[in-house]
Amino acid sequence: MSIILDDVYKAFGPHEVLRGFSLEVRDGETLVVLGESGSGKSVALKHMVGLFSADRGEVWVDGRKLRDLPTEELYELRRGIGYVFQFAALFDSMTLEQNVGMGLRRIGGLSEQEIAKRVEECLAVVDLDGLGARYPAELSGGQRKRTGIARAIAARPKYLLYDEPTTGLDPVTKAVIDQLILRMKKELGVTGVVITHDVDSACLVGDRIAMLYRGRRRFLGTPDELKATVDPVVKGFIEGRPELMEETE
Amino acid sequence: MTERLLAPFTAIGRAALSLASGIGRWGVFAGDTVRSLRHVDVWGRLLLEQMSRIGADSVPIALFISTFTGVVLALQASYTFTGAIPMYFVGVLVGKTMMLELGPVLTGLALSGRVGANIAAELGTMRVTEQVDALETMAYPPLAYLVAPRVLAGIIMFPIVTVLAVGIGVVSGWLTSLQLLDMSTAEFLRGLTLFFRPFDVVFTVIKATSFGLIVTSIGCYFGFHTRGGAAGVGQSTTRAVVASSMVILVLDAFWAVVLL
Amino acid sequence: MNRMREAWLGLVIVGAIVVAVVGTLWLEGSSFGQSQRDMEAVFEEVGLIRPGNPIKLRGVEVGRVQEVSVDSGGAVVRLSFRVDEDLVLPEDAVVILSPESMFGDWQAEIVPRSRFPAVAYAQPWEPGVLPGGALPDISELTHTADQIAVNLGVLTDRMGIAFSDETARNVASMIDNIEAVTQRLSALVTQQADSFTGVTERVQMAVDGIGSAADQATATLERVDELLAQDDVASTLEDMAVIAANMRDLSGDLQGTNAEIRQTAARADSAFARADAILTRMAAGEGTMGRVLENEGIADDLQATVVELKVLLTDIRENPRRYFSLSIF
Ligand SMILES: Nc1ncnc2c1ncn2[C@@H]1O[C@H](COP(=O)(O)OP(=O)(O)O)[C@@H](O)[C@H]1O
Ligand SMILES: [Mg+2]
Repeated sequence: MSIILDDVYKAFGPHEVLRGFSLEVRDGETLVVLGESGSGKSVALKHMVGLFSADRGEVWVDGRKLRDLPTEELYELRRGIGYVFQFAALFDSMTLEQNVGMGLRRIGGLSEQEIAKRVEECLAVVDLDGLGARYPAELSGGQRKRTGIARAIAARPKYLLYDEPTTGLDPVTKAVIDQLILRMKKELGVTGVVITHDVDSACLVGDRIAMLYRGRRRFLGTPDELKATVDPVVKGFIEGRPELMEETE
Repeated sequence: MTERLLAPFTAIGRAALSLASGIGRWGVFAGDTVRSLRHVDVWGRLLLEQMSRIGADSVPIALFISTFTGVVLALQASYTFTGAIPMYFVGVLVGKTMMLELGPVLTGLALSGRVGANIAAELGTMRVTEQVDALETMAYPPLAYLVAPRVLAGIIMFPIVTVLAVGIGVVSGWLTSLQLLDMSTAEFLRGLTLFFRPFDVVFTVIKATSFGLIVTSIGCYFGFHTRGGAAGVGQSTTRAVVASSMVILVLDAFWAVVLL
Repeated sequence: MNRMREAWLGLVIVGAIVVAVVGTLWLEGSSFGQSQRDMEAVFEEVGLIRPGNPIKLRGVEVGRVQEVSVDSGGAVVRLSFRVDEDLVLPEDAVVILSPESMFGDWQAEIVPRSRFPAVAYAQPWEPGVLPGGALPDISELTHTADQIAVNLGVLTDRMGIAFSDETARNVASMIDNIEAVTQRLSALVTQQADSFTGVTERVQMAVDGIGSAADQATATLERVDELLAQDDVASTLEDMAVIAANMRDLSGDLQGTNAEIRQTAARADSAFARADAILTRMAAGEGTMGRVLENEGIADDLQATVVELKVLLTDIRENPRRYFSLSIF
């Protein structure tokens, strides 16, 4: 079982963002998607939870085609996917505990005590235990991101989608988050999709790495294959040399 | 040359089209919201909180406005009626105007600023910071979670706030008549009861309910479709207030034509 | 949500419901703690009465009009009202509608039928429903006066053909005068609604006009008497003169005191009684004049006019202030 993007097209008005993007996320792996800012990485990730629907092409999750899924089943399916938003997207009007408990409350069948216990566990996983009564506005950027991760894992999802989890963080916090991503895979056994434009993190956390360029997949391979690539566009991106990337279609 | 001559018509045509498509999109939005009402488990718990925020918290501003409206109505009525018309008509004017027109409309306009702007800004911020998407990923239907409780609270609470405002407005008009106009309570009451029909109260409630629907649903509509960061939130807020104020006035005329 | 906010929300909701319900009932005129009973009356026509207007008994407000509706057949108007449960109605009670003031607000009074015997009451067919009638208001008075003038005009025309005498011309000019005066009265009423300034002056003018018309009428009638002694036409005209004189009395009331009003109203009453008698005779087809009128319907008009004026006069005698006090409020 896996997540598959099959030849996905997506345009916003005249602006074509995805132009035949295909990707398969294998069970148990962590797949990193690299790409310049504005290349459509977030758009691609949102297709995986049905936040966008493809103009053309199909998205499959666990063998089910999202396009044909009735709303109720889509919601059911989303319970198996944790989404870590780029800027955490915490609910400002709620405390961290309430934020993390949101998904659990929706699933139902858990008592308030069980929810509180699970919330405390999740906050402990991201080293935020004891801060549950705070509001998002009272946190630092790194803490907020970790809360976002805690919220995403609260419902014990099968998949975790991280949208730029380390962007804008200091090196130490960045390393903490990278370790966290690795632990999620090891301890919880989740399949992960990580969006980043940080090549070092990508090589550290990714089993495989893909690169999105001008709406299509430009590269897919292991970290070693990435480092050995001869494709000037990919090479230019990982070495930070834009002059190499200049090519016409 | 022809192009320049046609320019004003083109502008009018474009404005009409965008108005029509705006109304259409709002209609679709409203329809989706109605459909989202089936998720009672999602909005049910939030309704009281919204009733409190949208309704109960708006009582002070509504009462403040209607108190002064009552005073001014009484004074202006007595000023207009000097000599020719009996003073008890002050009671008629205060009662009728508060109930049929100023109570619902001023409350509606004040709340379109307080409630409509607040909703648009809140939902707009949630949209641009991806909190709406976050709700989706946690399997909360955003319309049921964000829009339904606010619109329902508006429909329930606007009439309630308006009735209180009308009550206070009439009382302040009465006190003004007693203190500043040398009228007697009996005189004021005579005017107040003279042309009163129970339908006046029904009319007040119908108007206020429709204003509640308009202010909250327009606030939600613009907030929900916000794009483009903080500037987008500001724009949505302004648009929500302008649009709901205009619709309130149009609806006001509509009800007057249909029901009076 | 904390306890305080919940309590405040509850308070707001309960407060609004109390304001709406209690306010409506109170403004509608329900008296709390006192049981009420619903009553109905039927009318041929209800003038300006509407829901919320007071129901009075002996001048005291005892209830409110609830609903005014035309009966399914369209033949009568049904008035529902609510009065105190323990109210004792007068013997043979009827409901009379009349203006409460000149500003268009009307009232319904419960009175014994004997008080306004001449009113044409609509007859209810269900038990418990009261018969009702409406009094004409002051604008109808002037309308009535107009009617009289027109009728007199028709009569004069006929007499002109029959006798082609100078007398007839005199009668005609008398009629013209009366017409002019009634028009002035009409204008006066309109004027009164607009503004009270100068009313007294205008009343004086109107009265003077009627006075001189009446003088002329008297002179004319003397000559008619001479010329047409022993003829029905003479006595008819005489009665017309009485009607004209009556008009003068009516307008005299406009500035009279209560006592004078009572007197003039009494005089007017007897004059009307005579007019009534002569009209009855005419209707029966007696005498020349009677034959002239027999098939023309004029007699009916006159008859109705006289009845209306009588009703009006009765009311004026009872409630002079309703019509003539200029500080009505
Ligand atoms: N909801 C939307 N409406 C219109 N344009 C959008 C929307 N979401 C993303 N875009 C556009 O799609 C492009 C890709 O955005 P995104 O996927 O966020 O880039 P990134 O790769 O940096 O995550 C951007 O140019 C952005 O303007
Ligand atoms: Mg992005």
